[in-house]
Amino acid sequence: MICEHCQERQATVTVTQVVNGQKSEKHYCEVCAQNFHPFNLDFHKEEQIPIHQLVSNLFGLPVWNSGTQEKAPSTTKKSAECPTCGFTFRKFLNEGKLGCPQCYETFGKQLPLVLSKIQAGTTHSGKAPGKLKSNNEWIKKQIESTREQLQLAIHEERFEDAAELRDEIREMERKLERGGVDAP
Amino acid sequence: MNLEHFLKSEAPGWMDVKGLETDIVLSTRIRLARNLKGYRFPLSFTENEAHQVDGMIEEALQSIESDALKFSHFTVKEMPALQRQVLVEKHLISPLLAKKEKSASVHLSNDETISIMVNEEDHLRIQCLAPGLQLAETYANAFKLDSKLEEHLPYAFNESFGYLTSCPTNVGTGLRASVMMHLPALTMSKQIKIVTQMLARLGMVVRGIYGEGSENLGNIYQISNQVTLGKSEEEILKDLQEVALQIIKNERGAREALLKNSRIILEDRFNRSLGTLKYARIMTSEEAAACLSNVRLGVDMGIIREVPLNVLNECMILIQPGFVQQYAGTTLQAGERDMYRAKLLREKLNLNNHKLNDKGEERYDV
Repeated sequence: MICEHCQERQATVTVTQVVNGQKSEKHYCEVCAQNFHPFNLDFHKEEQIPIHQLVSNLFGLPVWNSGTQEKAPSTTKKSAECPTCGFTFRKFLNEGKLGCPQCYETFGKQLPLVLSKIQAGTTHSGKAPGKLKSNNEWIKKQIESTREQLQLAIHEERFEDAAELRDEIREMERKLERGGVDAP
Repeated sequence: MNLEHFLKSEAPGWMDVKGLETDIVLSTRIRLARNLKGYRFPLSFTENEAHQVDGMIEEALQSIESDALKFSHFTVKEMPALQRQVLVEKHLISPLLAKKEKSASVHLSNDETISIMVNEEDHLRIQCLAPGLQLAETYANAFKLDSKLEEHLPYAFNESFGYLTSCPTNVGTGLRASVMMHLPALTMSKQIKIVTQMLARLGMVVRGIYGEGSENLGNIYQISNQVTLGKSEEEILKDLQEVALQIIKNERGAREALLKNSRIILEDRFNRSLGTLKYARIMTSEEAAACLSNVRLGVDMGIIREVPLNVLNECMILIQPGFVQQYAGTTLQAGERDMYRAKLLREKLNLNNHKLNDKGEERYDV
């Protein structure tokens, strides 16, 4: 079959249209079909997505093609540059890494968006310099849960396990006495 | 201590057979990522900044050193490629650090349980290793060291983002905790895929023994937390501990089922593997890792009795290309490495049986 539009090339694409319940079929060649297609999709070439685009997609942020962005900088807002290392938010998205500690302030508004996708939250809740938080709490909890296991083992008459658990508890208690840290 | 101390062909301190659940959990690793205020991250800093950071960290470490805790300092640039590789294979430095040129260095404690990498992806990477499942204990060591260091170093810290790191996947606690597990029964029964999927949902990652990208060579998996921000250190460790215990339980269950259903097949497989290790003349690292995994499982199940676990731990480290070449004393092509690897394994595994023959064997081996 020959393309209905150009009447030259072999028709390889069938376009089916349903208008008011009337079905019509048209046969076009690849070249013409591409021009007619509403989205102008390049459906034969395998799309190769650049990695930064993947990262941006992953983080749910809008993507600007780096090529067009350079040509038309006026259309997109120029993002702030980190004063210490010269990183822009775009560069961060491309590299996946930040340039300096200052970046966290420079991009303080955009970063939570990214962090919420890859982390459990956007605010730190752990150790902080100067604030000494003891590790003892964690060992105490461990001892408690091991005690429960021990009771269960005794209840189920698994005495070998129980003996092991008892030794574990003793070892942990010894550690607690030494201040939560193994003697070197 | 000189570099030779850290290059010797022995299992490192963290590969001892002490600790909990050592039949399944080989080791525990805690890593803290830290950076210094006012210096750009290694990704964008200058040679001069790198040098200053290196100097500051060295000074800080010197001031916290005691008789019980001593560090040896090595500059990456000054190490020959093969020695760097051996340190990577011992998990004392990361592959990334081994490639660094700009004033990258490492401080190692003499028992090899602490390694402090300087100017890797972050200015400071504190790593503590321990045998078996010891998350709380190992973290306590790292915590203590970190707290001492922060008295001497201006850490980059921000109230809302926590410890600032070059990669947003480490920001917050900067803590990555991992347990290295030998999971042959879960692998054999194909349950490992389900486990991996489940872990991903819980914010944990499963990797091969040799870090990102490496496959499950020898049925060894490294399970670690993915999330570093929004959870406290205690929560991260608790979650990982629970996951690890659950996996141990499943692995034990799978082992029992295997033993019950196909004991003779297993006995055959384990002993064949032991035979291969003891007598083969050519060994790729894949085959060696597979055989070592089988023998290890055989030992755990009480089917193989003559091989001590620490010998197996040692062999797991020694079969890596860097160690094989160090053993040969020269760089080798892949084919030659396989021959030396086989020789090395024969020596290690036949040690108990015929100590006298050991020296005589070498003549016709290579």
